[in-house]
Amino acid sequence: MDPMEVFKIEVTGQEEYGAKKYRELIMDILQDLGLIRSIGRLYVYVDILKPFFAVYGLLRSGIPPLTAKDVGDVMRVSGGYQIKINDEEHMADLLRALWEHYGRERVEQPARDMLIIASDTSPSEIVVADLEAEFLQDLTDALVRVAPEGFRNRRNEMTKDSFLFVAAEESLTPEILSEIKEKIREMENA
Amino acid sequence: MLEPVMFTGGLYKHDLVVELVEDLGGYILQKNVTQSEIILLILVPSEDKAALEDLSKELRGELVRAPLAGTEVAVVTPTLAIHHLPHTACDIAEYLRRHGSKTNMLGLARGVGREIAQINEYETALINEHDAAVFIFGNFQECIKKKEGLYRNITVPVVVTGGPQIEASELPYAFEYVPAIGRVAHRARKATEIGTLDRIVESIGRALDKTRTTIAKDPLTTSPPRVMDAVREQVPDVMFSYSPLPIALNLNGVRVKLPFEAYKDAVSAVSFDEGVKLGEIATIRPSRMKDYILVRILPASETGFVF
Repeated sequence: MDPMEVFKIEVTGQEEYGAKKYRELIMDILQDLGLIRSIGRLYVYVDILKPFFAVYGLLRSGIPPLTAKDVGDVMRVSGGYQIKINDEEHMADLLRALWEHYGRERVEQPARDMLIIASDTSPSEIVVADLEAEFLQDLTDALVRVAPEGFRNRRNEMTKDSFLFVAAEESLTPEILSEIKEKIREMENA
Repeated sequence: MLEPVMFTGGLYKHDLVVELVEDLGGYILQKNVTQSEIILLILVPSEDKAALEDLSKELRGELVRAPLAGTEVAVVTPTLAIHHLPHTACDIAEYLRRHGSKTNMLGLARGVGREIAQINEYETALINEHDAAVFIFGNFQECIKKKEGLYRNITVPVVVTGGPQIEASELPYAFEYVPAIGRVAHRARKATEIGTLDRIVESIGRALDKTRTTIAKDPLTTSPPRVMDAVREQVPDVMFSYSPLPIALNLNGVRVKLPFEAYKDAVSAVSFDEGVKLGEIATIRPSRMKDYILVRILPASETGFVF
């Protein structure tokens, strides 16, 4: 079963095999990059004779930015705050954020998973990483991987809750773009 | 008639196998040592194969037929980008290797796309130095048909692989077309996928047999393994080549992996017991692959004798 609500793929001409295989391929690549849960609906439209390749997707609700209290336990200790890290993956990002906020001399790391900050203001709400920006970066990478390789003229329109990725061999004209958008609207309403 | 076989077994006492093959008048084509394991590609006279089988049983080794041994196959992808590698191309290349062929992977510089795909003269000439080629294409039949231009000028048999079913008559320049292996993003592990790899090997086998039949009509003056043995003996520097296979065998000659300018005279002066020199029975020219020496044995119709 597809983890997505809707996943439609349409290829012009006698290319049922290609459509079927591209469906598997897109699933494989999105799964490899761990993106599949963040995409709600996906519409793919390919015209192999022109040729172009278009993907339109609706994203699931936005991901909140990661704060210091998400990566570790923040506790008040004498002389400041202590953070006990649970998720070491974001250690480097957390250190960078704390250095920027408090200055290097006020952040100490007595143990691998322990940070002590000499300050009276709590670090709980400091933003460690913008996961949404990372997600959008990964998504663009996935789309470039999915598109057939020779299609080097690309256009990527991303909004807060959707994306439209078009790749073609020849230059992308406004006519082609409007044709794609119309086709995808049709697929959505079908 | 020499039979190509592959011996896999322990390193211990493997020299007994090497000695037996030499005593029987066979050839060791390739020797791969991986820690305490060894893989030997061997050409052995078919009437004496039983002796080798007995010995390998005694040594607890495994002896299997390697139909592609002594040949070089090019696995060609439109480019060396993530879209084609590693799955399909590496699976095919590795599978061909397991059947004994020397496989080279080749990514074209501008082979991508439908309208814009190209191949240049150098790439064509390089592929033509092999005994057969596999062109790996994708999932859309329109593209596979259109990309015929890439292998139209290649003189060795070309096996084309792709996803959809296509009639052979629609791909007149391909030797054969093997469907069901287009662009995939996972390794071949299902039985059907392995079956497709088997079909590619069979197809390459048929392509090589066709070349062998053509050669048999006007036989080569001497056999490539014999040239390989003589070069190995008389140009000992070849053993210092960093290449894993210092002398690569083709159906109609060998490629000696030594710099052309420095060693062409030494290779040409290699002599045989019959009193002829290699330069007299073969053309020696620079290979398109790096700076290697390409030896192409002349047929009997040009030299007037066979030994």
